[in-house]
Amino acid sequence: MIATATTGVNAAPARVPKARKTLLGHVPIESPLYQFHPVTRLIMFIFFGVIPLFIYLPEVNFLLLWVNMGIMRWGRVNINELRKYMPVIFTVAFFMFIVVVLAPGEDPSYTPLDVGPITIYYQPVFFAFAAYWRLIAMLFGTILYFSTNRERDMLVAMRSLRLPFIASYVVGLSIRSAGMFLEDFRTIREAEQARGLDTKAMRLRDQVKLYMMYLVPLFSIALRRADEISNALFARGYTLTGRVGGGGKRADYIRAQYKLRTRDWVLIVSMGLIFVATAIVQMRFGVFSIEYSPLNIYLKQLLGIPG
Amino acid sequence: MSIAIRIKDLEWKYENTTEFALRGVNLEIEEGSFLGIVGANEHGKTSLVMAINGLIPQSYNGIYRGDVQVFGKSVRETDAVELASQVGLVFADPEAQFTAMTVEEELVFGLENLGLGLAEIRERLEWAAEVTMISELLDKSPYDVSGGQKQRVAIACVLAMNPPIIIMDEPTSMIDPLGKGLIFDILRKLKEAGDHTLIVIEHNVERLVPLADQMLLMWQGNIAKLAPTRQFFEDPSFLIERGVLTPEVSEFAEWLRLEGYLEEGTPLPLNLEDGVEITRQVLEARRARA
Ligand SMILES: Nc1ncnc2c1ncn2[C@@H]1O[C@H](COP(=O)(O)OP(=O)(O)OP(=O)(O)O)[C@@H](O)[C@H]1O
Ligand SMILES: [Mg+2]
Repeated sequence: MIATATTGVNAAPARVPKARKTLLGHVPIESPLYQFHPVTRLIMFIFFGVIPLFIYLPEVNFLLLWVNMGIMRWGRVNINELRKYMPVIFTVAFFMFIVVVLAPGEDPSYTPLDVGPITIYYQPVFFAFAAYWRLIAMLFGTILYFSTNRERDMLVAMRSLRLPFIASYVVGLSIRSAGMFLEDFRTIREAEQARGLDTKAMRLRDQVKLYMMYLVPLFSIALRRADEISNALFARGYTLTGRVGGGGKRADYIRAQYKLRTRDWVLIVSMGLIFVATAIVQMRFGVFSIEYSPLNIYLKQLLGIPG
Repeated sequence: MSIAIRIKDLEWKYENTTEFALRGVNLEIEEGSFLGIVGANEHGKTSLVMAINGLIPQSYNGIYRGDVQVFGKSVRETDAVELASQVGLVFADPEAQFTAMTVEEELVFGLENLGLGLAEIRERLEWAAEVTMISELLDKSPYDVSGGQKQRVAIACVLAMNPPIIIMDEPTSMIDPLGKGLIFDILRKLKEAGDHTLIVIEHNVERLVPLADQMLLMWQGNIAKLAPTRQFFEDPSFLIERGVLTPEVSEFAEWLRLEGYLEEGTPLPLNLEDGVEITRQVLEARRARA
């Protein structure tokens, strides 16, 4: 330990970056998930995003969340980075519960429970609890997608699904513009801070005022950017109609680098089957309805609530 | 040699401005030549090159008189795809010209617009990346590379499209000295290959001079001087009055001449080697006399 620490120059191994920056965060440089075609990954995103809509059981949604986490782990996502979503997760929980406690709605079937000085109603609280896990399951599906897919993967997927070039191009440009917007925002902030402005010491009201003031330069920068982008497009021979030189078909070089393989089809078909099965089972038989929740049943027994 | 670009009585005023940005420009540029453009800020350099690649008047509103022809065809009547395949323009701010998520996509975008096939796209992509030394960056976001690399990416995008005319508008204005050197290395390679007509706007005359066949001075929306590079710098005060710095070695030699160490009529040196050579001769002449 002593020997290596003092050798200085040679001691530190070359730092190999593990993650690549994207607009919304980072994606791992290498991941077993990348063996799947971007389309498969997009379908997986839709799968995990939509399936909680059919599932009211908080237990199952909780499980889904862990499945998502498991895939992220396997996909070499830096789990520590998920901490930045903690505020969202807690804020949503906080607001949902505040709402059901303060405004539970009126229903004769509700069971009042006295918790210290306030009265809460069991049914809306449990319903909010279940809804919350649905939301969180969807959120984790989204996090999984954006921590393992770059903007480029998204565009390749869209184009593979035969969306017209212009559609995916507009999406791409919007993402880019959003990125530039954030970048410009940072620049303006840094400029203000360099001139001695300390936002941390400010009251919230003044901070809000300050952000409003940022809007003016940001807006004029955005206008200029729009001009610059349209110039750039023109200079590269882009026409909004998507017409290409020679009048032929547009080649898609990036997409051509990806191929749908057997494993993609296997995954897509399985996800499709699970999805259809879940939807049918829920819509016909209500298997994932809230009354079947073991936690719900247990709590009702505990509190002596009938039904 | 045939004429690549022919500008006749070009006048241009941006909408919402009071003054004309270009006021009766006449210019012919030979195919395969290297033209350096200098001039103080706001004197119409950028407007001139935008008129050559068709951005003016196709993307800007304003008053347009006269005509600009590229290979005999008026740019007003040529569509974006065809223009882009003939005139490549690299802007001063590299970030302003990016539209894609990775450097590779950025390069490929223009090639797809030209309607090329996959094999040719790959070939051109690799070639352009190699010439501009960005092969390592293909997988990165064009925003996450250094300023010098960004500009090389921007140049690669234009090179890949292989237009016979390549214009660069202050390509090194946002780059450190080492990065500037790399850009001029690329320009030197291009000039040596001799396949392109090159037009470069640049304040850094020291670097431009060794490459340029001809120099052009923009002043108040018009051409104040157009001459082969050596002649262009013969009257330094004319340039200095119009906000253009001449190479420092020329100023040094000019001083030698004013002090009487240098014979009248000796051509002024434009680069360091010539400057050293002239100084050596002066010193030797003095030693011989002593
Ligand atoms: N988009 C625009 N809209 C209106 N006026 C413009 C626009 N671009 C340039 N101008 C005006 O046209 C004139 C010439 O500007 P131009 O950008 O061609 O000069 P330049 O020589 O390239 O300057 P610089 O060295 O600062 O780049 C200036 O008076 C400028 O204000
Ligand atoms: Mg300019």
